Amino acid sequence: MPTSSPLILCIDDEVCGLSIRKIVLERSGFRVLTAPDGPSGLELFHQHPIDLVVLDYAMPGMNGGEVAERMRAAIPEVPILLLSAYLDLPPSVAKSVDSTIMKGNNPEVLIEKLIELLPPVKRRLRKAP
Amino acid sequence: MNLAEFRRILKQTAILPILLLVIMGGLALALIRQSSTATTALDVSDRITADIIDLEKLILDQETGLRGYELTHDPSLLQPYETAAAQMPQSFQALSEKLRDRRRQPLRLANLRDRYQLWLAFSQSVLARPADHLTDPAADVKGKVLMDGIRDEIREMLEAETRARNIRLEAVRLRQKQEFFVILLASLVIGIVLALFTRNRLHRVSRSYQTALAQISQTSHNLYDSQQKYLTTLESIGDAVISCDLNGNIEFMNAVAQDLTGWTASEAIGRPLQDVFNIIHEETREIAENPVDKVRRLNQVIGLANHTALISRQGKEFVIDDSAAPIRNAQGEMTGIVLVFRNVTEKKRTEAALIAGEKLAVAGRLAATIAHEIHNPLDSVANLLYLLTGEENPEKRSEYLQMAQQELGRTMQISRTMLSLYREPKAPVNIDLQELIDGVLLLLDRRIQQLSIRTELQVVDTATIEGFPAELRQVFTNVFVNAIEAAGLFGSIAITLSKAPPEELLPAGIIVEVADSGAGFPPASIEHLFQPFFTTKGDQGTGLGLWVSMGIVQKHGGTIRVRNGDSEPFSGAHVSIYLPTRSLLHTAPRIAAPPAVS
Repeated sequence: MPTSSPLILCIDDEVCGLSIRKIVLERSGFRVLTAPDGPSGLELFHQHPIDLVVLDYAMPGMNGGEVAERMRAAIPEVPILLLSAYLDLPPSVAKSVDSTIMKGNNPEVLIEKLIELLPPVKRRLRKAP
Repeated sequence: MNLAEFRRILKQTAILPILLLVIMGGLALALIRQSSTATTALDVSDRITADIIDLEKLILDQETGLRGYELTHDPSLLQPYETAAAQMPQSFQALSEKLRDRRRQPLRLANLRDRYQLWLAFSQSVLARPADHLTDPAADVKGKVLMDGIRDEIREMLEAETRARNIRLEAVRLRQKQEFFVILLASLVIGIVLALFTRNRLHRVSRSYQTALAQISQTSHNLYDSQQKYLTTLESIGDAVISCDLNGNIEFMNAVAQDLTGWTASEAIGRPLQDVFNIIHEETREIAENPVDKVRRLNQVIGLANHTALISRQGKEFVIDDSAAPIRNAQGEMTGIVLVFRNVTEKKRTEAALIAGEKLAVAGRLAATIAHEIHNPLDSVANLLYLLTGEENPEKRSEYLQMAQQELGRTMQISRTMLSLYREPKAPVNIDLQELIDGVLLLLDRRIQQLSIRTELQVVDTATIEGFPAELRQVFTNVFVNAIEAAGLFGSIAITLSKAPPEELLPAGIIVEVADSGAGFPPASIEHLFQPFFTTKGDQGTGLGLWVSMGIVQKHGGTIRVRNGDSEPFSGAHVSIYLPTRSLLHTAPRIAAPPAVS
């Protein structure tokens, strides 16, 4: 039986935005790991029992679609939420993630989406602010 | 037949008759000589006859003298006898010399001499008689017999000589007849030979003449055909063609030219070009320079100024694209001017539409990039505002506020850059190219970061030029996006700004060289790069970027050259954009040559 709050992995090359997102999510009762690019994100993904991944799409080197595919191939049960500024993502990307959210929305939308994607067991473990 | 052969024949036809006449002369001379020998022989015969008669006369003189003396006893009558007797040996000698070549006459002469000697002896005996016995009948009979013998001999000689003369005369006549025939025959032969030879030579000359005539006729035919062919070709060509003499008077114009100018060829030919070919600047409405004057002045092929419009005789206006070139003869001297032009009114309209479309596409692509750029800081600001609402700690609050301000600053910067894109002046303004390029790079920064591309910007000197910033931004965005896409992940791009010193045809300016580490242009594509709808990017490209860029740069009086690099790491495409420092937009020249690609 898990005891700690859900562990979220945030991957985004926008370091400033990433750190702010980390604060927002921690405030919402999540534990947060961050990675500035795809490869280091994948490394964290394999090292830690990640409950959910918040993934940026446009990143140098490996884009979000690619990272999601690899994660799916490794542990298919972990929900992946793709966060992007682009309106039209390639259809193949939509298949390998559970949901997508436009950047610039109110953070509450993101938090609601996260809770929705988490397995019910995990949802209850979140320490509400 | 060449000239040398013709001369040889002329020489032959002159020399052969002379030669034949010389031969004929020689023959005639030989015949005359023979004939004169024969005549001499006749002469000799006549002289012999005369001598014989003389001899007879002397003998008769002697006899008469002797007879007179016998009858009269007058010694004075013996005078003829004595005189003749004295001459006799001489006469015999002379005659004997003349008869030396004869066969029987010398024998007869010897007989005659013998008989004369007998008679002489008898005459001596008569003279020796005493004066009273001078007459002796018996002796007279003897004397008469002797004298008759002499007379017989002389007659025989005369008859023989006459016979000989007759034979000779006959021979002479025969010879004359022969000569006549020989000369006749020779003349005939020579005549025939001459006639045949001359005929043969003249035939040859005539044949050559015929051949030459046929050749000339064929050549002129071919010339005519070829002239017709070229005329038809020019006539049927899709472009308008007008040719003028050196004074600028129209000599030829084809159907398209007649159609565009509104003049028929028969009306236009002979008129000065400017009467028929009325051209103005499309926008300023100023009368354009007469291309004939320009070609004469520059003595080279020229393209007319951009935006040239042709006003037809009926007042219709066409935008034309044209060139004028000197017509040169084999010695390279200018003999006229040819003008080739076409109606590009429709093409210009289509091009304008394409350019507008490409502008929209560029704007669209930029908008997407900018939106993405703005979204990131906006997202952060939204998050920060969310954090601020629930944060009690003043330190945290001020930290969040500061971060939000920073992110807003970024957004502002991007939006300012965006605004400047659409603020386009009417006239060219001073542009700091480095600043402009920095701005473009900032807009593309996201993509550059995504692909981890290393960019180097080298500025050799201050790079200020005159021009339209938005259009140039479009050019550089295009070229940089191409370079980014070509360089790919972890690639590199070098941008170098350097001064270009003034050259013969190009004023001083700035060269912006953009080199990437990509694969370069496929060699076969280089010459098509500036054509509309040509793309090396498959479905990803519109094929209008470089074409529009070239149009913009040319409008600024510059050029774009492309080549593939040859040294690492920038072994990909090298695009050099030359822009003159002073804008040429006021004079609006047209680049006559297609874009230089190297």
